[in-house]
Amino acid sequence: MRFSLFLAAALMAAQVPAHAATGKPFNPDLSVNFLGLAQSGTSYSNDRTVANSHNGLQLQEAELQILSDVDPYFRANALLSISQQDGKTDYGIDPEEVFLESISLPYITVKAGKFKMAMGKHNQLHTHAYPFVDAPLINQRLLGSEGLNENAVGVSGLIPTPWFTELTVQGFSLANSNLFNTYNSGDIGGLAHLKNLWDLNDDATVELGFSGAEGKNSVNQMASILGSDLTFKWRPAEGGKYHALIWSTEYLYGQRPGLADASGNSQRNLGGLGTWLQYQFGERWWAQGRYEYVGVQRSAALPVATKESALLAFLPSEFSGFRLQYDWIQDRARTQNDHTIAFQYNVTIGAHPAHSY
Amino acid sequence: MKFLALLFCLFPALAQAKTNVVTTITDLATIAREVGGDQVNVDSIAKGTQDPHFIEAKPSYMVKLSKADLLIAVGLELEVGWVPSLIQGARNPKVKSGEKGFLEIGPEIEPLEVPSGKISRADGDVHPDGNPHFYLDPIRLGKTAQLIAARLGELDPAHAAEFTKRGNAFNDRMKSKTEAWRKRIEKTGVKKIVTYHKTLTYFFDRFGIANPAFLEPKPGIPPTSGHIIEVINLMKTQKVPLVLVENFFDVSVTKKVTDAVPGSRAASIAVDVEGEPGIKTNDDLIEQIVKAIEGK
Repeated sequence: MRFSLFLAAALMAAQVPAHAATGKPFNPDLSVNFLGLAQSGTSYSNDRTVANSHNGLQLQEAELQILSDVDPYFRANALLSISQQDGKTDYGIDPEEVFLESISLPYITVKAGKFKMAMGKHNQLHTHAYPFVDAPLINQRLLGSEGLNENAVGVSGLIPTPWFTELTVQGFSLANSNLFNTYNSGDIGGLAHLKNLWDLNDDATVELGFSGAEGKNSVNQMASILGSDLTFKWRPAEGGKYHALIWSTEYLYGQRPGLADASGNSQRNLGGLGTWLQYQFGERWWAQGRYEYVGVQRSAALPVATKESALLAFLPSEFSGFRLQYDWIQDRARTQNDHTIAFQYNVTIGAHPAHSY
Repeated sequence: MKFLALLFCLFPALAQAKTNVVTTITDLATIAREVGGDQVNVDSIAKGTQDPHFIEAKPSYMVKLSKADLLIAVGLELEVGWVPSLIQGARNPKVKSGEKGFLEIGPEIEPLEVPSGKISRADGDVHPDGNPHFYLDPIRLGKTAQLIAARLGELDPAHAAEFTKRGNAFNDRMKSKTEAWRKRIEKTGVKKIVTYHKTLTYFFDRFGIANPAFLEPKPGIPPTSGHIIEVINLMKTQKVPLVLVENFFDVSVTKKVTDAVPGSRAASIAVDVEGEPGIKTNDDLIEQIVKAIEGK
């Protein structure tokens, strides 16, 4: 104990450089993003304590992001999410992503902390960067509302191929309650992600990704998830400020041994896909459509669900956006189809880092 | 000597150990090619037809950067939305900010329009360190060539003298041509020009032309009908004869302006090298703008 106190005091004394108090040049980049939502849906509750699924007005999420180089070797990113706690009207703060990553290593990047795992493409997006107001159904059902976002360490690097190939390998804590939720905190899961991207020409790219993760679950069996994603992007080198098109398709398949409904029927297997088209038809306007099918592969006890969404977006600048989304959901477990409509505003202030391609 | 010749025959890579240069925009690439000569391989990320504020950080650019010895950027936050992601994704410590393999020209060439007071995004896309479009000023391009020559010389000392010589030659040529361009512009009598964005600030500053209004109400914000009426009234009052529109912007609004202002005309111009098929050098680019002012 005495040694620890001495060490802490010594570190504090040694690590505070003379220029630490001089101010702004060393301040981290700080940004806040927040999403406001007005929604109404036949499946939504009128109880305002039901987080994210109640009718009416709500602050969907606020994200406080702090990003800076630590020293010549690392940079750190802390993203704190403020959102409604389920069952309450209060808001809580969660460390959505808090990690450090290497900036000086050749060929590889090492990353450690709590972060969104490289499981597919959509799982790595922050809420404000979702192409639609909500995550795809299959992501929600297999990975939960927060996605696969765990305490983890990982290494990624470029593979020397004629096109872009990035391999990511991550080890993570098996805390995800939908997929793993092992009781033994010492159990570690493994994940691998391979991302390929080809430039078809100056205007268009195709990206193809494969990912898989595996780890023990609450009944001490190996649960796993496999994913593949395919994205075509077109933004002409001439006139690209006014027109663009993105077509993404993502498939996830989860195997959850031991998972069963109240009658004991197995719910082990579930696979589903989402495919969506985003078309920019003006400098500040986008029209989008999405189709989802959950149950491509499924245990007999799990019903098929489909969802169709249409979205119109108006983006006054890079830092603000307004989106109107309509969903038509057919869940064969329910006797009626559901309709939802949502209006979302999306605002960013401060020095926010660029989103990945 | 014979041994060396034999070695180079057996291992051609030793004989051709060129410096791999990646530039953010084409205007810097052409200078790097001219200054570097046969000792460099040069690639540009942005195309000349693209607005360099809004380049997407394609992973394929990371592959280019992963093999680079030198990244040359405009700086002044022109590329702030895409270069940091590319550097991180490239996993090439040589081209990190602060390293010898990363050269930002903007801070070295006396930036214009550096805000003096508090700035806010309510003012649009304001660059806190100054206007980044220096690459349309031929004199600053000359200085850029010398900066690139110096940095190439640090990376490849064996060829430093050649780089310096070519950098100085580029600088001298720009100085000489600037005087010729100045005379031609003076002859047109054009003293005021409206543009879409603040892209031509350095060009106008060099040649004594005022830029009293922009089609954008604020930097990065598309034109509104109310603002266009203000521009039309200003052009009438101040007798502005010319509207120049950077060719990656929508030119449809320009016709409304010139139709409403008798005697005025408009031209769409490239503002980066390779922004039009015939524009292959920095000289071609400046020449094209001068010709647009001349009405040719």
